[in-house]
Amino acid sequence: MSKSKTSQLNPDLSHAVSKNRLVGLWRLMGGYQFAYLGATLSLALAAGAKTATYLLLRHFVDRILGQGQTGLLPWVAAGFVGFAALEGAFTFLSGRQAAFTAEGVARRLRNYLFDHMQRLSFAYHAKTPTGDLIQRATSDVDALRRFFSEQAIGVGRIILLFLINFAALLSLHPILALISVIVVPFVILLSILFFRQVNKAYEAYQEQEAVLSTTLQENLSGVRVVKAFARQGYERAKFEDVNREKYSRGRRLLVMHALFWPISDLLCGAQMLGGFAFAASMALTGAISVGTYLAYAGLVVWLIWPMRMLGRLIVQTSTGLVSYERVREIIRQEREPLDEAGHTPTGDVRGAIQFERVCFEYDPKVPVLKDISFRCEPGQVVALLGATGSGKTSLVNLLPRFYEYTRGRVSLDGIELSHYPRRYLRRQIGIVEQEPFLFSRSIAENIAYGVGREVPQGEIEAAARAAAIHDAIAAFPEGYQTIVGEKGVTLSGGQKQRVAIARTLLKNPRILIMDDSTSAVDTETEAEIRAALEALMHNRTTFIIAHRIHSVMNADLILVLDKGQVVQQGRHARLLEQPGIYRQIFDIQTRIEVELEREIAGAAVELVED
Amino acid sequence: MAHVEFEEEEFQTQFNGQTLRRILGQTRPHWKWVAGFLAAIAVVSFLDAYLTFLHKRLVDEGIMAHNPAALQSIVTQYGLLILVQAAAVFVMIYLTGILGERVRYDLRQKMFNHLQDLSLSYYSRTPVGWIMSRVTSDSDRVAELVTWGLLDSTWAALNIVSAAYFMLRINWQLALIVLAILPVLIWVAIQFRKRILAQFRNVRRLNSRVTGAYNENITGVRVVKALGREDANAAEFGGLTSEMYRSAYRAAWLSALFLPAVQIISAFALGGIAWYGGLQADLGLITVGGIQAFVSYVTFMLWPIQDMARVFSEMQHAIASGERMFSLIDAVPEVVDRPGAADPGTLAGDIEFENVDFYYEADKPVLRDFSLRVRAGEAIALVGPTGGGKSTIANLVCRFYEPSRGAIRIGGQDYTRLTLQAIQSRIGVVLQTPHLFSGAVRENIRYGRLDADDDEVEAAARLAGAHDFITTLPKGYDENVGEGGNLLSTGQKQLISLARAVLAKPDIFIMDEATSSVDTLTEALIQKGMEQLLSGRTSFVIAHRLSTIRRADRILVIEGGRIAEAGTHTELLRRRGHYYRLYTRQFRHQLEQAYDLNRMTGVAPA
Repeated sequence: MSKSKTSQLNPDLSHAVSKNRLVGLWRLMGGYQFAYLGATLSLALAAGAKTATYLLLRHFVDRILGQGQTGLLPWVAAGFVGFAALEGAFTFLSGRQAAFTAEGVARRLRNYLFDHMQRLSFAYHAKTPTGDLIQRATSDVDALRRFFSEQAIGVGRIILLFLINFAALLSLHPILALISVIVVPFVILLSILFFRQVNKAYEAYQEQEAVLSTTLQENLSGVRVVKAFARQGYERAKFEDVNREKYSRGRRLLVMHALFWPISDLLCGAQMLGGFAFAASMALTGAISVGTYLAYAGLVVWLIWPMRMLGRLIVQTSTGLVSYERVREIIRQEREPLDEAGHTPTGDVRGAIQFERVCFEYDPKVPVLKDISFRCEPGQVVALLGATGSGKTSLVNLLPRFYEYTRGRVSLDGIELSHYPRRYLRRQIGIVEQEPFLFSRSIAENIAYGVGREVPQGEIEAAARAAAIHDAIAAFPEGYQTIVGEKGVTLSGGQKQRVAIARTLLKNPRILIMDDSTSAVDTETEAEIRAALEALMHNRTTFIIAHRIHSVMNADLILVLDKGQVVQQGRHARLLEQPGIYRQIFDIQTRIEVELEREIAGAAVELVED
Repeated sequence: MAHVEFEEEEFQTQFNGQTLRRILGQTRPHWKWVAGFLAAIAVVSFLDAYLTFLHKRLVDEGIMAHNPAALQSIVTQYGLLILVQAAAVFVMIYLTGILGERVRYDLRQKMFNHLQDLSLSYYSRTPVGWIMSRVTSDSDRVAELVTWGLLDSTWAALNIVSAAYFMLRINWQLALIVLAILPVLIWVAIQFRKRILAQFRNVRRLNSRVTGAYNENITGVRVVKALGREDANAAEFGGLTSEMYRSAYRAAWLSALFLPAVQIISAFALGGIAWYGGLQADLGLITVGGIQAFVSYVTFMLWPIQDMARVFSEMQHAIASGERMFSLIDAVPEVVDRPGAADPGTLAGDIEFENVDFYYEADKPVLRDFSLRVRAGEAIALVGPTGGGKSTIANLVCRFYEPSRGAIRIGGQDYTRLTLQAIQSRIGVVLQTPHLFSGAVRENIRYGRLDADDDEVEAAARLAGAHDFITTLPKGYDENVGEGGNLLSTGQKQLISLARAVLAKPDIFIMDEATSSVDTLTEALIQKGMEQLLSGRTSFVIAHRLSTIRRADRILVIEGGRIAEAGTHTELLRRRGHYYRLYTRQFRHQLEQAYDLNRMTGVAPA
């Protein structure tokens, strides 16, 4: 793909952010502006050709029929066909250019938003609901597409038709022309008012549609409850209420339409008839020729009737403008640079990490990490222990620069972390989460997801074997090509975790972050996962977010976190000697085992007593 | 995979006349409206053509004949007819619209009512989304066809016929030129519409993939960033949008070509009129007004043709919608009342499974030769691995399903001889994933017994241990629980669904992991309520909470569709088998919770 083509598809749209919405929309069209102007120009030419058809009719009636110059007939006939062809050609051209612009702008915007969103910071994603982002990237982009392809051009079309035909009428007879448009401002006003109301009524209708869907959905997903309480009759009545409300809202919408169209018909019809009567009496007195009358009668149609639609387009245009604002909100967000850095490392990191009085907060007033200091050597295992909200996840999130620490210093192999490019850093770090996210594609693709190159099947299988998931995958009918997720098989929590381990093994990072939670998994798989994790940890600097003493006992360094601070650190044996959280946890776990023994022994005694 | 069968069949090649008749039949109850709007359409389309003819007379009899009196009378007539037409337009839009809304209403209600009768097996093999689109979008599309589709096609046909009539009256030779072009125009129009529609459907399909891609990339943004997939994903997504661009662009320029193409074809008619009409006028065979009328007729013939093409090309899809919709309406419920089924007024007595086989899908038996006798008032705990058959047993007792072979007796009587209402209204079921309906807390509890007063509702909530948390809600019992109850935590929802079942005062009680997400403190709170609830009632409890299991009169370990172990808590523990293993694991978990260890180590509550 050539460079220019690439920039055409993936340009930088950040300049399309503008306070003035029309300016913003104009910039959003960057590169398509000429095409769009061409579309508008074509519209004018098409309108001109239509007008010319009626002028030709005038000529035809006055000269040929009136004066009997039948020799010109073939030329006139050809003229009709020719003008029609011109009109058709330009109409087509205009539609095509408008579509070219609208679809092109929409595609570019979709691509840009997609890329932009994945490069926005975590801080942004954490505070923005997914549904809202998707809504803006789909519905609002579509509204913008319609703005370019239908609304803006539609308004232009009606105005051009009016101007050109009005100019033609003026040239035929100025007074007649002025008399013929008396009703136009009223029609425009009426149609704007009407469509504004209709918009509201339509929203109310749509709201009820949503209520109806919810009621239906709740009934369907709660079918067991409905049946268990034998509440079918009650549910029918409930649905009927909702259904009837939708019916009556639909009816309200309908009455508005049923009134608007005949009323505007009447307005336009009266105007036409008045014009006809006036023009006809002029023709009677010979003030205008018969041909002029006929041309007038043809032209005036295009002056009046399209005005009824103007209101609709104008009302819709305003939704396009609102959509622009909503999309602009996303575009104006700063991206997180991936490659910008003060230090360009060559080769892999070793994995020596040092935290010096590191502080971090999401919100300036609420500290999340306070004065964290520790160091670890390449290949060591660091375990983090602490309650929910104690800062374990926030601490490891600093390593791949998902978030930036706000004070203190983190160094990796002696160089400050913020000097490393994010892309490089993330390539060096592997993460295995508690509930790993898999993509709805094949298992093979999921395993090879993080590598960024073609991976031979053998390598994928080797990684799967090491992660103790190969057998499970092979048992699926489609093996490694099995699609994961909604449209395919649902993997259990343990299977997902092992696929994620295989994914990380293949990526082969120098630093590893993992969550040891296997609470949802039964005992056999727990052992398998444990073995797989050990294979993964081998020879890498590892951070474990630990949930039980069992998995921290062998760590080279245990950090006990409480409310964002390291309250204890050291090895297992040393921490046991100190009073503190660590010993408390250890004691409780020991006590649980003792009580378990006692309980079972007790049951045995009870039986004897029986 | 089950979902494959439910992919929307987008292309319907066969034209099914029977379905079309059945679709049109939906309007039968409202035939007066249909008759009314058809009459209004006839007036409107006739007047459309007649007004043009009147205009011709205005030119010929008024202007050309220099007759001001004729001019005045024609203008008056024209004015009156505009009024008549406006009135007819009002009637036409109003009646069509109201009929459309009414047919939608009828169809939705008919489907909904039928859905209430369908058995659980229908729901387990039919995705909710599939049913939803039948009730919402398919009913819309069908209603659209019998109303606006009918209106457009009738209007278009009548419009063309009346225009043809007046053209023939004005000058039959010229009329024939125009009418010869007509079929060509219609054919071209239909071809266009078909191709445009096909592209649009493709765009819709791609659009949902684009939305899916957005969704996945945003929800998985952490993995995307961690694995540095930004560039690859953007490139992949670009492929998708390019495909969408091509279809959308193609649809757009086909649409842009459509009108001009039709216009150019009709321009030949216009040219013909000018040429031939000019010659005829010379001979005095056609008037100026006549030529003008022809020009008008030809110019405005575009609209009926466009409408007809639209209706015809969309009809096939409406028929396909109709077929899918009727497949829902025609689905036969599997579990129904047998002829002569009775309601004994109570569900007392032993419950007996006699050599029951059961499978959801043929060849995959869930229960095989399963026999069990539960004495009246006995509390049974069902434990065992997921998929072992515990929930199936509960489903069979509720008669959500019936045994594939063998029989279930209640009080010695085969339960298929009772009505469904008799069984299901006397069994209280509390599920692990409690389902609430949007609305107030109070209404959700009252669902258990619709005529219960507020005091009874509250008493039930107290018994279920829900009262305390409900009173802390800002609006107490009037608090809205949100869609599907999702403004509450799972534990809170479980308590409310427990209260709901308590209020129902059932004879038999079934709890499927009903309090799994309730915290330990609340668990202790509801202990007493539960005891009161279960005392004297036959109950089946699927549970992992030890206190609940221990209290049972009999514990059944269900594995692979069979009873692997049965006995009381102490007996089973002593045996050191399946139950022992389950128990120790569970015991450990529970102690960890009791000592608040999970909070200290940050384990999310299961």
